[in-house]
Amino acid sequence: MKPRVAFFDFAGCEGCQLQIANMEDEILKLIEIVDIVSFREISDVHSGDYDIAFVEGSISRPMDEERLKDIREHADILVALGSCACLGGINKMRNRFDENELIESVYGDKKLVSNPFFNVHKAKSVDEVVKVDYYIPGCPIDRNEFKRFVISISSGKKPELPNYPVCVECKKKENPCLFDEGRLCLGPITLAGCNAICPSRGSPCIGCRGILEKPATECIEEIFQRYNIDYDDLKDKWNMFNFGDKIWRKE
Amino acid sequence: MNGEIYRLEKDDFLAFVNNLINSFETIGVKEKKGRFVFSHLESAAELRLDHDVTILPPKKFFLPPYEKMIKFNVGEQKGELLGDNAKRVIIGVHPYDIVALKQMDMVYMEGRPDELYKQRRENTIIIGSDILRVNDFSFASSLGTHVVKDGFDLMLTDLGKKVIIEIGSERGRKILMDYARNIKEASDQDIKDVENHRKALPDRYKVKLDIEKDQIPFLLMDVFEHPLWEEESKKCLQCGSCTLVCPTCYCYDIRDEISLTLEDGERIRTWDSCLLPDFTKIASGEIFRKDKSERYRHRFYRKGLYIPMRYNFIACVGCGRCITACIPKIADPANVFNTLSRRKHESKGKLVYRMIEGVEAESHILPEPAVIRRIEPLTENEKLFEIELLSRDSFHFEPGQFVEVSVFGVGEAPISISSPPSGDNRFELVIRKVGNLTNRMHSMKEGEKLGIRGPLGKGFRVEDLEGKDLLFVAGGIGIVPLRSLIKYVLSKDNRPRFGKIYILYGARTPKDMLFMDEMEKWKEVDDVEIRLSVDTCPEGMKWNHSVGVVTTLFNEIEIQNPKETVSLVVGPPVMYKFVIKCLEDAGIKDTNILVSLERRMKCGLGRCGHCQINGIYVCKEGPVFRYSDIRNLPEVFQ
Amino acid sequence: MEKRIEVHHLTRVEGHGNIIVEIDSDGDIKRVKWQIPEAPRFFEAIVRDQNYEYLPFITSRICGICSIGHTIASIKAVESALSIEVTEQTIELRKLALHAENMQSHSLHVGFLVLPDLFGKKDVIEVAKENKELVKKMLKIHKLANRLSDITAGRTTHPVSLAVGGFYSFPSVRELEKVKKEIEDCKKLLEEVSFGIEKRMEVFPDFSRETEYISLSQEGEYAFYDGSLMSSDAGYLNGDYIDYIKEYVVEISTAKHSRHARESYMVGALARFNINSKYLSDFARHISSIFDLKNPCFNPFMNSIAQLVEIAHNMEESLDIINSFLSRGIKEEKISKVKPKEGRGVGMVEVPRGLLIHDYVMDSKGRCKRANLVIPTNQNHANIQKDMEKLVSEVKDRPKDEIENLLKMLVRAYDPCISCSTHSLEVKVKWKG
Repeated sequence: MKPRVAFFDFAGCEGCQLQIANMEDEILKLIEIVDIVSFREISDVHSGDYDIAFVEGSISRPMDEERLKDIREHADILVALGSCACLGGINKMRNRFDENELIESVYGDKKLVSNPFFNVHKAKSVDEVVKVDYYIPGCPIDRNEFKRFVISISSGKKPELPNYPVCVECKKKENPCLFDEGRLCLGPITLAGCNAICPSRGSPCIGCRGILEKPATECIEEIFQRYNIDYDDLKDKWNMFNFGDKIWRKE
Repeated sequence: MNGEIYRLEKDDFLAFVNNLINSFETIGVKEKKGRFVFSHLESAAELRLDHDVTILPPKKFFLPPYEKMIKFNVGEQKGELLGDNAKRVIIGVHPYDIVALKQMDMVYMEGRPDELYKQRRENTIIIGSDILRVNDFSFASSLGTHVVKDGFDLMLTDLGKKVIIEIGSERGRKILMDYARNIKEASDQDIKDVENHRKALPDRYKVKLDIEKDQIPFLLMDVFEHPLWEEESKKCLQCGSCTLVCPTCYCYDIRDEISLTLEDGERIRTWDSCLLPDFTKIASGEIFRKDKSERYRHRFYRKGLYIPMRYNFIACVGCGRCITACIPKIADPANVFNTLSRRKHESKGKLVYRMIEGVEAESHILPEPAVIRRIEPLTENEKLFEIELLSRDSFHFEPGQFVEVSVFGVGEAPISISSPPSGDNRFELVIRKVGNLTNRMHSMKEGEKLGIRGPLGKGFRVEDLEGKDLLFVAGGIGIVPLRSLIKYVLSKDNRPRFGKIYILYGARTPKDMLFMDEMEKWKEVDDVEIRLSVDTCPEGMKWNHSVGVVTTLFNEIEIQNPKETVSLVVGPPVMYKFVIKCLEDAGIKDTNILVSLERRMKCGLGRCGHCQINGIYVCKEGPVFRYSDIRNLPEVFQ
Repeated sequence: MEKRIEVHHLTRVEGHGNIIVEIDSDGDIKRVKWQIPEAPRFFEAIVRDQNYEYLPFITSRICGICSIGHTIASIKAVESALSIEVTEQTIELRKLALHAENMQSHSLHVGFLVLPDLFGKKDVIEVAKENKELVKKMLKIHKLANRLSDITAGRTTHPVSLAVGGFYSFPSVRELEKVKKEIEDCKKLLEEVSFGIEKRMEVFPDFSRETEYISLSQEGEYAFYDGSLMSSDAGYLNGDYIDYIKEYVVEISTAKHSRHARESYMVGALARFNINSKYLSDFARHISSIFDLKNPCFNPFMNSIAQLVEIAHNMEESLDIINSFLSRGIKEEKISKVKPKEGRGVGMVEVPRGLLIHDYVMDSKGRCKRANLVIPTNQNHANIQKDMEKLVSEVKDRPKDEIENLLKMLVRAYDPCISCSTHSLEVKVKWKG
């Protein structure tokens, strides 16, 4: 039987679901191998009966936690879709601030806090709330990686993330190294799978797929000196998607 | 220079290149954001012969970073080798890259050639170019690879207004004659100009090796336990760049990709790197060469010792690409070899290393069609499969050899043959559910099709065992390859050729014991002693044998004639150290201990690099080894 | 009969919105609410202290659908704050990227989200079962838009090639030639799609409510990349946008609302059409004539049709830009040098859903001290509310399902981008630390 899949979104930009809509003609092939039973962004169809739940976005309110737990209960397999779900992503940048003060300053009225819509806590990745079976990171996700994931699941193979950094893919694409231009690229420490799309376009990797492994300090100091890179730049780039300091590869 | 040499004026040379572009897929050196790459030429004006080095070597045209090897259909399990018929010309290949290609040819074209590599190589014309600009990190002159005498079809020396062209092959001569105009024989002055250019080259290199290149292997034998490996690897980002840009690195990974219809797909070969942590990972999750410093060291040993021992060349041509690509700048072979030679005295351990005779694989890339004839569940996690090859009547192998089982859409996995040689085209495999392929196998039914490559590797040489007492020691699933040999020696015809037989077999729990019914029969054969043990016996389970690790069984037997006893040991990696100690305590010589090792044998052809233990390929020189041959290899039993 | 309509998590829109309507048994309307329960995301907090170079990358993540628009608005704000000049090629390439995104977003909206309404289906896949050709053509146009985004901006969602001061990478001549052919092919498809959609126009109610329309406007061009604020009521709105666009909090909604002179105004394709239609290309005029769409049009349902017209205009304009690149060639220009300095910069662009404004105050190190982001959908929330009120009063006697369906269609017509609108707007934020 075809696996029944459902898409859910929390705090995020819905860009990851859009990548699935952007599969164009292939989406017609996709629905031959999976049954999409819920995909609010593009369809009225909705059913609470599903095998695989794809969850996009970070979790930032108690009401969202409840909804997520409910999804977890219904799903055999729960997949964190995109960096907001996998890492907390860009939403975690606001964790530097006190959320009550944020609400007050933004909406100017403390009474709002009692409204559940405004009852915001620190942004969390999905696995900080429920168990996640698989991760498809990236901001946004890579269409091909999503495709490979669905193919793996549908053909009984265990979906796997690469366990190497973006450099591997970047080298295979024969891109001139951005370090040689004195630009800090997070490619050497970021989980691969995006086919090095940013450095291939001359834009340094900003670590959206998550930090694979923290480099040794010996290495960082030498590199920064050699390439004349500013330590603040590392902080800026690292914090964009990795404010929570989640590291994929744990020894 | 002593071949045929011609001269073209610059304009005529450019016209020659344009003619090539119109007739062939023509590749040349082009600029890319201040660096250089080999890429499709659209006009001769794009060609650069003043490059220092390209980001990737021309290797990418023969062993592409991403290569579709086989096109397959999942349902029918039918595969077809994908070729690449394009007639290519590559212009601007520097001498060191030509040397690297010659090395690559030895790896991929000798013995059983790699069909895909060979086809591309034969369809490609190499037009070399003398080095005009020296890369800052290159040390080619120290390795003698800044010039080259052969390995090209044509060799260009761009002297500004004129280009001097040396003929390196008949087809090179033909292509020049057919596509160039106003060809003039080179004058003495032309030749002198080229020779002067080449003579002056070595002085232009900033980086130099302090030792003779022939001394590198000897140096490395002395410094295996050198503090440098730890010091430098601390800075390593494990990005794999040094190996990915290397013209002499040739390791690869294989995986199956299927389309969204789940009906068809391709078997893909991609570049892999021994610097990456998962390089040696096997299906059960075990990783060999686990430490970063070991992987860092391994690369230099491949370059300077392992490959030289195997192929008789230093697997580094001094192009400087690795150090250019390395962000912490620790990948430089010249610097590492120079430092080691200066600080040789700091080493704490040597590597005693010699080559072991291997077996040329009886296999190509494409698996042979086969069918599952019989499936017998053995335990919760193990099933026995009887496989029949469909394309041949007989399948000859020796006990201890393995096959690559292929299921298109899932992949391949190395599996030991567990039945004795029978002469017909059937054999048995015992498969434990650990990874994607074995999981799939467990869900397959009798009559389903799959693919087989093999037999592969070196098995137990039965003629060497004749007249000896045999002591089998099996741990867990290690009984599987041993069963092939046990059944062979216990057969009526063969039994008289061997002495006393001991079988020691241990598993985790009684439930995990394999072939208990067969053991009963084996016991009945003359002069066979069988001892069994389990690590633990859960309460309530019946077990009339020993409890404890397999080595406890040594207390239950008396080895009557240790000098004339050969022991055959197969088990999980942790087992060997302890069993071998028992065997040596019992007086069995290390030349009489045979072990079978498990590694990630991905290609089975001695190429992909995943099963390498120091310099040996388990798929080629093993999986069965004489303990005396490998006992000094530090990576064997970690 | 009492009617109570509660639509939670409206489908086929970007983000989460609820519709709540109560009509009592006497037919009196008790409640009409357009409610946004989406989690607020606090982008103004997120960008605080961030380096100018990364502001476009960060703010791009406000919206998955109009990320190119956010990126360009952000870049323009930074460039204005730091007085960075860019080349003409950069501007042309940015315009091309905006055309690509506008096409992409509009074809997604009309093709994926509105088409099911027109055919009375649950989603585009169901529509495709009976109208495969129409859907396929729409998919082709969407695909073209994505390809054009890929080659100009690096990718469709969260672009990678666009930079403060220029571009990190450039489309190749070969890519431009290829996409040019695709555009030419797609023009015909768009015409066919328009005829197909025109046949279903009776689905849209004959509804009209005069309101104010606001968009950028500029002499000689249908403005997307640049222009000044223009109101259908008041003409050019000179000076600082902040004097005109008033944002306010609505208790039931995590998105703020906006107003100008009236209680509400509308931005987006229909607003642009009503203000700038004289600058539409011939092909765009041809498409509008198929639907008899004329300026001014006060029917918000026609926003989707204005989007089709804009797709046509985007195609024509893209062809012009590409042709000029093909004759002049594309230079691999270096990115303009940047010297951080204190100052404020405002970047205004027209994105698929309307006027988008990024407003930054930078410190001397080139870091963002304060940001204000004015999002199209926020500007439309009040107008949606007003339209809903009028529509309910006109159709309150119809069956509940029909009312519900019309309301859903109304909201969809605005193509709301709710994730965007709950990025949360701040005017005076007290910062901690």
